[in-house]
This record gives sequence, C-alpha cells and structure tokens, in this order.
Amino acid sequence: MGNIIVILIILAIVAVAIAKIVIEKRKGAKCIGCPHGGASNSRCSCNHSDNKSKG
Amino acid sequence: MKVALMGNPNSGKTTLFNAITGKTEHVGNWAGVTVEKKEGRIKKSLIKGNTEILAVDLPGAYSMSPFSSEESVTSDFVKNENPDVIINIVDATNLSRSLFFTTQLLELGIPVVIALNKSDLNKKKATMINVEVLSKRLQCPVVETISTVRSKNGLEELISAVVNAKGKEQQAAFDGAAVNLADKTEVEASDKKRFEFVKTIVSEVENRKVSSSKQTSQDVADRILAHKWLGIPIFAAVMWAVFSISQTYVGPFFADTLVGWIDGLYGWVEGLLGEGVSPVLSSILLDGIIGGVGAVVGFLPLIMVLFFLLALLEDCGYMARVAVVMDSFFKKVGLSGKSIIPMIIGTGCAIPGIMATRTIKNERQRRTTAMLTPFMPCGAKLPVIALFSGVFFNDAAWVGTSMYFIGILLIIIGALILVRITGEKNARSFFIMELPEYKFPSIKRAVIEMLSRAKAFIIKAGTIILLCNTVVQIMQTFDWKLQVVAEGAENTSILASIASPFAILLIPLGFGVWQLAAAAVTGFIAKENVVGTLAVVYGITNFIDTEELALIEGATNVSDVIGLTSVAALAYLMFNLFTPPCFAAIGAMNAEMENKKWLWGGIAFQLGMGYTVSFITYQIGTLLTTGAFGTAFLPGLIAVCAIAGVVVYFMRLGNVKANKKMGLSV
Repeated sequence: MGNIIVILIILAIVAVAIAKIVIEKRKGAKCIGCPHGGASNSRCSCNHSDNKSKG
Repeated sequence: MKVALMGNPNSGKTTLFNAITGKTEHVGNWAGVTVEKKEGRIKKSLIKGNTEILAVDLPGAYSMSPFSSEESVTSDFVKNENPDVIINIVDATNLSRSLFFTTQLLELGIPVVIALNKSDLNKKKATMINVEVLSKRLQCPVVETISTVRSKNGLEELISAVVNAKGKEQQAAFDGAAVNLADKTEVEASDKKRFEFVKTIVSEVENRKVSSSKQTSQDVADRILAHKWLGIPIFAAVMWAVFSISQTYVGPFFADTLVGWIDGLYGWVEGLLGEGVSPVLSSILLDGIIGGVGAVVGFLPLIMVLFFLLALLEDCGYMARVAVVMDSFFKKVGLSGKSIIPMIIGTGCAIPGIMATRTIKNERQRRTTAMLTPFMPCGAKLPVIALFSGVFFNDAAWVGTSMYFIGILLIIIGALILVRITGEKNARSFFIMELPEYKFPSIKRAVIEMLSRAKAFIIKAGTIILLCNTVVQIMQTFDWKLQVVAEGAENTSILASIASPFAILLIPLGFGVWQLAAAAVTGFIAKENVVGTLAVVYGITNFIDTEELALIEGATNVSDVIGLTSVAALAYLMFNLFTPPCFAAIGAMNAEMENKKWLWGGIAFQLGMGYTVSFITYQIGTLLTTGAFGTAFLPGLIAVCAIAGVVVYFMRLGNVKANKKMGLSV
C-alpha cells in the first residue's frame, strides 16, 4: 500500500510539472522558466530580409 | 480601445507601460531593451468610466522610416493595426531630438497624446518646458509624467487625455508627408526643414538654466568610468564586488536558511516513508526529486542577490558605460558596438540577449553577435559557477568574475575568427549610443527584477529540472534489462552506458567519468541541470554548507566525492559555460540567424571553443601545478589541432573571398 501511495505521489508531481510545461508552451513560451525570454513569438516578428545590409 | 506607446529608445516607454498596466516587463536604462511589442490592459484605477483600454508597448524608434528590424515592428504596427490613439512618450530632458519623431507621428492622422516623461529630471536641472505652448504648437494634448513614482505622476491625466482624444481628427503640425521617399535629396531637404521646425518649437517652449554644452559632474564621471583603458579595471573591480557580496557574504547567509528548510523537508519525507517503502521508489522521491531539485534551489538566494546588484548597476546607468568601454575593442574585431547590449542582456538569460541582436542592422554582425552572446555566463550558469567556486576554490569571487572576462575574451577571439571566415575583415562599424544620465538606482525596480528572476528560477526547478532529475534517477537506478543496479555496479546502469562514450571524449579535459559527462549532457536541456544531475549521480542532498561549503550530511567533502583536482574542476566549469547553450537558447539563435548554415556552424564553433578552452585550462594548469601534462594529452592535442585546422581552413576561404571583394589577385 505504501508503495502505491509513493508511486501516485511521484506520478502526481511529474504530471503537474508536465502540465505546467504544456500550458506554457501553448501560451507561446519559448523557454519555460526563463526570465523575460518566455512568452514571445517563436520566430522574430519582424522581417530581417527587409533590413539586410552589408555595410 | 487600443493605444500604442511610441517614442525614441530609452524614453521610458516600458517603464510607463508597466506603470499603467501593472505589468513587470523588463526595463533597462539604455536604448534597445524592448525589441518586440508587448500588450497589457490599462489599470481600471486610472480610467474614468468603463472603457477597456489595451496598451501596446512598441520598440523604440527614431523615425517612421525603419532602419533596424525592431524599428520596423513599430512602423508596421501603426500602419497595419490602426491603434485608436498613440501615446508618444517624449523624453523631456531631450526635447529637440524626441520631437523629430513626434512630428512624423502627427502626420499619420491618428490622435496623438504626448507624455512628457522624466519631467522630474528636468525640474532637478531647473529646465522649464511650457506645456501649454507646446500643446498648441503641436496641436495635440501634452501631459507631464513621471512613471517611476506612485503619486502625482500624471498618469491619470494622461489616460484621461487618451480617452478624450479617441475619434478626434489629428492635424499635422509639420507636413512632410508629400515627400517623394525615392528621392534622397528631397528626403534630406524635408528632414532638414523638419529639424528646423523642431528647433523653433524647442526655442519657444524650453528654458534651460544649465547649458547642455557645459561640463557637469556626469561628464567627469564618464571620463573615468567610460575611459578606454581605465574602464576595464573598474569594470573588473565592480564585478568582483558583485560576486563577493552575492556569493561569499550576503547570498550564503540567506542560502543557509533555505537549505535548512530543504533538509527539513527531506528528513520529514524520509521519516514518513519509513522502512516499508521500496528503496527504489524512496530513492526517486528523495534523491531524484527532493534532493536534485533542492540542490539547485539551494543556490536561489545567491542568484537573487547577484541579480539585485546587477539591476542596480543597470538602473544607475553604469552598464551603458560598460558598453562604451567595450565598443573600442569590439569594433576592432568586426563587431558592432551595439553587440555589447545583447551580451549584457545575455548575462541575465541568453534568450532575450539573442533576441536583442535585432537592433543590429548589419546581417553578418547580427548573426555573429547571436552566435557569441551565449559565451557570456547567463543566470542559469550561476549555480554551476557558485558550486564549483565554492567547493573547489576558497575565494569564490575571483572565479565568477574571471568567467565573465574569459567570456568576453572568447567573444573577441570568436569575432576575430568569424570576421575572417565571412571574408569581411575590412568591414568597419560605427556605434552611436545615447548615454543615459547617472541616477540613484530604483530599489523597487531592482527588487521587481530580482523577484521576477527568482520566480522564473523556481518555475524551471519545479518543471524541467524536476523532470530531468527524475529521469536521471530512474536511468541510474536500472540497467537495460530493467533490473535494479546493485550497489557498487553503477557502471552498468542505463545512464552510465549512455554517458560513458561521451566520457571518453572528455578524458583529455580531465573529467572523463560518466557521472560528469551525464551532468554536462543534461546541461544542454537547462544549465542548472548540471548541478541537479551531479547531486543525483553522486547522491548529494545539497551542496551548500555556508561554513565550509561541504556536505551537510556525512563527513565527506563534496570535492572528494566528485573526485576532481582544482584544475580539472575549473576545466569542467569552463566546458559547461562555453560549450553551446541550452536548447531554448539554440532555438532563439535559429530564429534570429534565419540561416541553417550559420546555426549549425555556430553550434560547432561553440562546441570547438568550449572543448579547446577546457583542454588548455586542464593541461596547462596540470603542467603548472604538477610539472607534467594531464591524462591523454596527446589524443586531446590531436583533437584540438583538428578543430584549429578546420577553423584555419575556413579562415583561408574567407580570406580569398575578402581579397576578391577588394579586387586583389590571390
């Protein structure tokens, strides 16, 4: 019985961690737990090709 | 209702955005911190009535003709998303420069409300601006604001003016819209007229008691702090002080309490589990989850103190001077002076640092900066630095400080190599940066910055690091037949068998054991994992004992458990710091470089650089300390020579390209 409870506790902890990652990813986070690097577009929203210069 | 916040770089847009929305977006006392638009709802307490207002914070721009990609975010937003009102944040201390952009915004036909920001700084200098005349001349409401204070900040009046302006027709104070943009001469003539117009307005509304040409105490400070040579030892001393305070004195004081709590939790759970629970399950929960995560979280106070101090340095205006000091070196190696800004932002987290490379117009310089920014030790690497400097070196402060300077040195060497590989060794760059005024740093802002990083750190520890440690613990517990590994036969575990081939490659670097190889590999998921994995594979509950930086439980010293010499430990630390960053940062590199050749070349370059630096550190260090080279010197030398050979080959190719460009025969 003790083993089953511990397995359930481990599974619950792991499930919460995975759920948090999935939620953050769905919100568009690039990196979970990165300060100021989180919710932003996965790609640059600008168009680099417009600004290319070789100077 | 949608409101766009627009203005010149470092006019205080994000500070005002945070003040009116209650958000805590990253702000910095220099230009170019915001590179993407950010949205938030304006606080109800500032709005009279029931209007819902969405505020959009846009990157700073000097003109509606975009010169860099983050400026194009600003101009594209206004042209495509039609905001109801534009709040133009004007730096009251620099009116003549700010109003050029204002006159362009007034031509768009969208109602403009001017927030005359940093009014408090003007009052200190006894500079008066006649708001009424300014409003009349520009034909739009002007409200004086101070975003950094809670009361009498003008924010209610600003929002009220925004609500009133909605739907009104906006007249252009200066009409330059009819200019043919394809005709350079016509554009230049129009810009000249616009400057004249702005100059006239400024002379009418501004009354300065202190002439801007007069030397002030700020100029004297700049001559010392931003001096080409003197600036470097000052920067080294400042960073040494930051590391001393955060990792030797104040940080460990708070860490002691936190580690006590983690230990208490470990003991409490251990007591609850008792003898009746399977040792495998107990080990996963105690050593994998609580021990592994606890070992990383134990460093949280050290990191919080460090980021608090760095936020103070940034806010007072010092870090902008560091950018100026570095510029003279960076432009000599083909980098943009602007490259230093992503690199300093990268000391917090490599991802926003890499994203900040968008401010660099030149494509090669932008990609090079994105590739080299991860060499600056980010926040995730700090627990690794703190662990190794604490466990293997008595004086923790010099280790951390030197890692920053080695990072800068690698960036300079890397830039020198890359400028030759790309065949642009003759390229010259110019850097114009507006230095913010020195000011007393905001404690509130530093606390917010520190707490936001602490929150992010805890989220990462509770998600990615927890999952990684659990997987590492399971892989260490079982062999490929899914049998529990017997005590003393850890080398047969799944983890050992996967990590061992990598460990062979690391023998010439002085740490060719599977445990250290496994920790380095999990570090690519998140750098904090290095600490977590070491805790799991060596069965260490936590690393911090503030008195001796030794194991709290058991008498064995951590350095004995890990079994490295000080030199090998330094090499291992450098390997983890200077090889490619975490996968998320590599993703950011991919997005900014927009070129697979550059991306894979960058990863290979970082790997080669990290391996070489580690090899040199271990072998030379061992030679100096013992009188003989370390293990596997010859195979390592062959590997490093092969890396150098590949680099030289590409540099020669680049040289041919450069000579062709110059029209020389080869």
